[in-house]
Amino acid sequence: MAMMPKRVKYRKSQRGKMKGNAHRSNYVAFGEYGLQALETSWVTAKHIEAGRVAATHYLHREGKVYIRIFPCKPVSSKPLETRMGKGKGETEFWTATVKPGQVCFEIGGVDEDVAKQALVRVAHKMPIKCRFVRRRHSL
Amino acid sequence: MAKELLLKAEIREKTGSNSVKQVLKQGRIPAVIYGHKEEPIAISLEEHNFMEGLHHGLRLIDVQLGKKKQKTLIKELQYDCLGKKVLHADLMRIDVTEVLKITVPLEIKGSAAGMHDGGIIEQHSNKLEIECLATDIPKSIVVSVKNMKIGDSIHARDIQLPEGVKLVTSPEILMVSCHVVVEAKTTEQIEMELPAAPEVIGEVKEPEEGEAEEKK
Repeated sequence: MAMMPKRVKYRKSQRGKMKGNAHRSNYVAFGEYGLQALETSWVTAKHIEAGRVAATHYLHREGKVYIRIFPCKPVSSKPLETRMGKGKGETEFWTATVKPGQVCFEIGGVDEDVAKQALVRVAHKMPIKCRFVRRRHSL
Repeated sequence: MAKELLLKAEIREKTGSNSVKQVLKQGRIPAVIYGHKEEPIAISLEEHNFMEGLHHGLRLIDVQLGKKKQKTLIKELQYDCLGKKVLHADLMRIDVTEVLKITVPLEIKGSAAGMHDGGIIEQHSNKLEIECLATDIPKSIVVSVKNMKIGDSIHARDIQLPEGVKLVTSPEILMVSCHVVVEAKTTEQIEMELPAAPEVIGEVKEPEEGEAEEKK
């Protein structure tokens, strides 16, 4: 499991609703270019790690990759061939709830062409539609 | 020298989210004009011309309200959740002779000498707060990083400003630095560092077998 919290208040959580758009972290804040989510979905720790590896591998130690999402939500499931009941299953994986507008990845310190190519590779690893965005310089 | 744009504005009689939605549907941008100890006026501007001016980096707008012409500065913009569409604009009345405090974008130019030695250029801040006359507002402030080597940094005090422009941002603030990137960790390395399961806050740990026997 690549990313998960170090400490949690509760071991298991309910699934929750995923409605609305991202009204925070919906702009490029750290790097120069970013990858913005256009759909709502759970993005698991595996997806994020695959995206990080794809970007860092393409950049060859040039530039800097920022990850703006963190999988803080535990998702549990019951083992196969188990009868219902006997309580909630164990945590299977960790996810981040991503809403339209959320900037998931950012890249800084490289040219636009390089950043675009790297973020296209990241977008292929994501379970949602994404778009390439630039930092808004003026206003 | 900042260029100016003349836009015809209409007064919005109705305010509130419902009427603003209707204004946006008509292809106009709701805005408000305030400042200079006058009453704020709710207006709407033509979206196409306003956006065109914005894309050209204009900050000053002449707003034609009936026969009256007012010089304004775009103070703030509200965007939709995807950051594509402008939902509302704040325009501040200004006088050409008055000195304004304004944030302008910082632009990096050139490729640093340190980049050839495996370093990267990191921009810590992309904005600079300055003080100048309304007519002297620069589109952006350009910083050349050509001579930067690994370990070099540029602070706000090191930036050369155009004539008539004064720095407001703290001079100690780090703007740009050139440094070597630490090699990215592999997935295996990250997994080794992390515990198998997160610690639960407030949960009392059960004593291990050896400890439990000793207590008995």
